[in-house]
Amino acid sequence: MIKVENVTMKFKLGKERSDSLKETFVKFITGKHKKEELFTALDNVSFHVDKGEVIGIIGKNGAGKSTLLKIVSGVMKPTTGRVTVNGAISPMIELGAGFDMELTARENIFLNGAVLGYSKKFLTEKFDEIVEFSELKEFLDVPVKNFSSGMIAKLAFSIATVVNPEILIVDEILSVGDIQFQEKSKNKMMEMISGGTTVLFVSHNMEQIKSLCTKAIWLEKGKIRKIGSTIEICEEFENEVLKKEKRK
Amino acid sequence: MIKGMLSNFKKYSFLMSQMVERDFKVKYKRSVLGILWSLLNPILMMIVLALVFSNLFKARVEGINYLAYLMIGLVMFNFLNEATNTSMYSIISNYPLIKKVYLPKYIFPLSKCLFVGINFLLTLIPLLGVILFTGSGATKCIINIYYLLIPYSFICMFFFIVGVSFILSTLAVFFKDILYIYGIVTTIWQYFTPIFYDISILPETLQKIFPLNPMYQFITFVRTIILYGNIPSVTNFIMCAFYGIFFFVIGCFVFKANQDKFIYYI
Repeated sequence: MIKVENVTMKFKLGKERSDSLKETFVKFITGKHKKEELFTALDNVSFHVDKGEVIGIIGKNGAGKSTLLKIVSGVMKPTTGRVTVNGAISPMIELGAGFDMELTARENIFLNGAVLGYSKKFLTEKFDEIVEFSELKEFLDVPVKNFSSGMIAKLAFSIATVVNPEILIVDEILSVGDIQFQEKSKNKMMEMISGGTTVLFVSHNMEQIKSLCTKAIWLEKGKIRKIGSTIEICEEFENEVLKKEKRK
Repeated sequence: MIKGMLSNFKKYSFLMSQMVERDFKVKYKRSVLGILWSLLNPILMMIVLALVFSNLFKARVEGINYLAYLMIGLVMFNFLNEATNTSMYSIISNYPLIKKVYLPKYIFPLSKCLFVGINFLLTLIPLLGVILFTGSGATKCIINIYYLLIPYSFICMFFFIVGVSFILSTLAVFFKDILYIYGIVTTIWQYFTPIFYDISILPETLQKIFPLNPMYQFITFVRTIILYGNIPSVTNFIMCAFYGIFFFVIGCFVFKANQDKFIYYI
């Protein structure tokens, strides 16, 4: 389903990034332009995911988890290496990325749906389902800029999860809304996962990873530290993090 | 490859229509007259210009309806001006989206061009009013069979504008300075396009250079039909198509070659 081969991702950090013609010119003259620092976000990462597997990706901040998801979902192209994906991807990397704050919830359902690649027919059919799940029926014709952040997240989650994708990519979104909605969204997620969807899942919540995933990947500084069974890897990860914390 | 492009285009046509719709909704949200402004705006502009140029400056081009002459040039140039300026910002202002979801990036400038293009078509209604109801006697414009050729110029111009927009939106990602430079460029460009004056008042050397301006070709094409009731010259036909295709191809090429790098610079 998903095959990641020797993927390396390097970023310019933008410390001395030239944005204007004058700066570019000055740098060119002084020869400074050659010294652009590169940051390696992912270093020679390879793994594969079979159909129906639920993979948890863990690691500290800056380990390259989100970058990895962005590469798999096609937002970024890796510097070197290759990613092969068979099947329709539904990325839930950042919810509500396609929202226009000036538009109402109703209008945003269509706009954001289109951004996620849904067809018009599909959206018209699923409109009621989205509204019902979001619990925002009374606010349908209110501009989203007047929504609370919780409401926006609920709406976004409802739009994003209305599909039955073959591959689901999730970046830390289960902590959306109030406790009751969190429970609901977790159940929705479980339902999608048990429907045979392949899932790539990033979270800092070890309990979530343990309860949802069949396999885990531990990323450290852009490299794969370990791949294996969820329980084993989560425990090792937790132990190490806690140990370091204690030593301090 | 072309088949792949077409299916890709079809897949994202719904998104494109949603984005154009969004632009309309956002633009006219909470204004009392709403979309009527798309018509009212050019009408008001025309009234102001009619007062300033025909009455105050007594500007005229012999033997034709000067107001119609002025308006055709102005409405067409405004299309270029607005479309390229809004497209130029389209990639950088949509960076939150580009960084998070995979979308073909040509959608952003193209949907802006379509949005301004639809607005342009709306302004043709008051323009037609000016053409038909102003002028008298010999300068009165009459609808003729060549009107059917006018869309040819508009289509060529649209491709030209999309091409320029692709180039500008790409440049804007890498050199922010273009945002300021282009404002000056369009001002100069506007004065070097015979909108307010006729090319015959210029020195002969300039008269030879002016037709190299793509906008001159598109505008002349339409003016020949509407004001003179003639069929445009063969050169005019060819130049319109040439500029449309040439800039469109260059634009696509520049955009395609750079689009994967956008995400690291915006």
